[in-house]
Amino acid sequence: MKTLKIILVALIFAGAVHAKEIKLLNVSYDPTRELYQEYNTAFAKYWKAKTGDDVVVDQSHGGSGKQALSVINGLEADVVTLALASDVNAIVDKTHELPADWQKKLPDNSAPYTSTIVFLVRKGNPKGIHDWNDLLKPGVSIVTPNPKTSGGARWAYLAAYAYALETSGHDDAKARDFVKQIYKKVPVLDSGARGSTVTFAQRGVGDVLLAWENEAHLAIKEFGADKFDIVTPSLSILAEPTVAVVDKVAKKHGTTEAARAYLNYLYSDEGQEIAAKNFYRPRNQTIAEKYAANFSRLKLVTIDAEFGGWTKAQKTHFGDGGVFDQIYQP
Amino acid sequence: MVRKIKNRNMKLNRWLFLTLLGVPFAHPALAADGDADITTLKQQIDDLDQKVRVLERQRELDQDAATNALKTQPRFKLDSSGFTLSSADTNFVISLHGLIQFDSRSFFDVPTAGVRPGNFLLRKARPILTGTVFHDFDFNFTPEFGGGSPSIYDAYINYHYNPALQLEVGKFKSLVGLEALQSDTWLFFNERSLVNNLVPNRDLGLQLHGNLFDGVASYAAAVLGGTPDQVSPSNTDPDNNVAFAGRLFFQPFKKSDTEALQGFGIGVGGSYQNDEKSAANLSSGYKTDGQQTFFSYTTGVVADGRHWRISPQGYYYYGPFGLLGEYAISDQKVSSAAVNDDLKNTSWEISAGWVLTGESDSYNGITPKNPFDLRKGQWGAWQVVGRYAELDEDEDALADGLVAAGSASKARAWSAGLNWYLNRNIRANVSYSHTEFSDIGGAGGSSHASVTDRAENTLFTRIQLAF
Repeated sequence: MKTLKIILVALIFAGAVHAKEIKLLNVSYDPTRELYQEYNTAFAKYWKAKTGDDVVVDQSHGGSGKQALSVINGLEADVVTLALASDVNAIVDKTHELPADWQKKLPDNSAPYTSTIVFLVRKGNPKGIHDWNDLLKPGVSIVTPNPKTSGGARWAYLAAYAYALETSGHDDAKARDFVKQIYKKVPVLDSGARGSTVTFAQRGVGDVLLAWENEAHLAIKEFGADKFDIVTPSLSILAEPTVAVVDKVAKKHGTTEAARAYLNYLYSDEGQEIAAKNFYRPRNQTIAEKYAANFSRLKLVTIDAEFGGWTKAQKTHFGDGGVFDQIYQP
Repeated sequence: MVRKIKNRNMKLNRWLFLTLLGVPFAHPALAADGDADITTLKQQIDDLDQKVRVLERQRELDQDAATNALKTQPRFKLDSSGFTLSSADTNFVISLHGLIQFDSRSFFDVPTAGVRPGNFLLRKARPILTGTVFHDFDFNFTPEFGGGSPSIYDAYINYHYNPALQLEVGKFKSLVGLEALQSDTWLFFNERSLVNNLVPNRDLGLQLHGNLFDGVASYAAAVLGGTPDQVSPSNTDPDNNVAFAGRLFFQPFKKSDTEALQGFGIGVGGSYQNDEKSAANLSSGYKTDGQQTFFSYTTGVVADGRHWRISPQGYYYYGPFGLLGEYAISDQKVSSAAVNDDLKNTSWEISAGWVLTGESDSYNGITPKNPFDLRKGQWGAWQVVGRYAELDEDEDALADGLVAAGSASKARAWSAGLNWYLNRNIRANVSYSHTEFSDIGGAGGSSHASVTDRAENTLFTRIQLAF
């Protein structure tokens, strides 16, 4: 018994000696603050149990495009969890700090959860907004961030565009005009989704917020169900926020193993459950069914099917001189 | 704009209130018209309310954008330290500094066949470019346009991993002399002491250096091209041999609570080189405070092998008081056609200063409490300084016929002066220096008899701009 105690004490001591603190920087987009706050705690517990090491994850949030630019300009992210693949691609193109085939490193094209764009309206929906075409009603003022800097805004823009294509028999000119009319009704363009939520929910600007599904739920949770309603349009877009290890930075920091595990754990049951609880649509079907009440059923188009993938969509719509630049006059 | 809209809202509200009061007494037809008006007015109020909210939010966003823009904009700074331009993250910095010294030297008791230098000289004229690239790489480029022909004094790149671990490559001050390492800007006198004759000036090579324990200790170890005493080499290493130099310096009480001990520093610098047989590796001569050569080796004497130097050194600063002292040995093998000698030359100095106006003195200068401003009756800082120094050339040099005609193997000098720091950038000083010579002799070479046949008495003045 005494020997066993000595061994146990020695093991505990050895564990204490060898335990190290690992720091990760997760550069993410605007609405994921709450998701990763909860997830980081869960992962730290998991990693401690698995390896004995303490892991501390620092978070950085902002418009997805702006965040990607920060990484390009030297922000040393171990992992990026951005709103769309094209922002990660921009990091690949400009820094080569992760491989071109980064999306193949994790399941589901490195998108462990999905989301979509819905409408957040004022309680009782006084302007009668039920679908995209209602946004063009006289007197309706729309709040959405700037697609140049916000990933969510790009998804919202493409969702509107997809709706217009669908309802116009895929007439691109009509779709372009439809989106142009929408942006004419946007009085303030914030740089990120969280800023737009502040504009709409806290500053009382506008009649409808084109919001990430999770951001809409969060606004209701934070400001009260008596303030806002969520309206699900007939059609929206399947938004696939993507995650990736920034290999060269992680290697430099000596955090590669922890960084990979951090992203892999997003696909675990616990990771998927945390995503669902934060109103992100989980990939795991069992968990998706468990939280089905959180998510409205609607037709979701994909970026690949409707716009030929992110590379093409980015260049056509959001690149310098692209469609957005042509239709939007501040 | 916002106030106008609010005033308009108030007027509308008053009108609305009066209208509502009148509604029950109005004719039904008029009431219907009134309802329509009220609806219109409500709509107008809502529209105005939205406009105000949009304007307020836009203002918020504009302020945020301006704040964020400031974070990414380069910063420009102009103050007594010079001009500095840096990137917002300070990873890239470029600074322009400068040093101008305009001197006069008046020699007394000049011999009839006077050969003393002229009165006025532009002693130093240096634009100094320093900076940092990619956060960790510092640089310094200092050309010299004063004195004789233009030259590059310092040109180096310094990689600083942290204060304790830095690697410097290029042309920089050598490591041996304490006064030699002090900035020209903050010397007690116009010229460094006799000790400066026995230590190298600049050298080419690389050094590993750093400060430990918040500057309590510092170290430097260098591999250099090797240079004769007092010489700053041109931009190429004169021979194939290398020199090693090192320095350890301690300020043991820097972190102490006892203020009187904090300014105490003590250390040692040294070098070792193995010179090829060449006159180029031999000092071209030793100079007085007045920068006249009082000793040199005669024609045909060359450096020939081992040459080492060591210099114990220290300083003490406490309040307005400053004291600096150092001792140097330069031991060098030389030869001529007739003899081989190992010459051990020594020198020492002690100098002190007292700031009459009470400011604290330091190795890195004085900052006047009340910069010169006649309108405010402020006169800057005043300091009295004194120094005594000796230099002894190995007596074998004279005995073995290695010295040029009229060379003095021993020199003793005392100096006294008054320094006026108008502000951190401008300084004016006046000093008097007396140097006596002994053990005079030698043959051949350039004769120094006109310098050593009597004591040198010199009055110095200087106006200095440093930023």
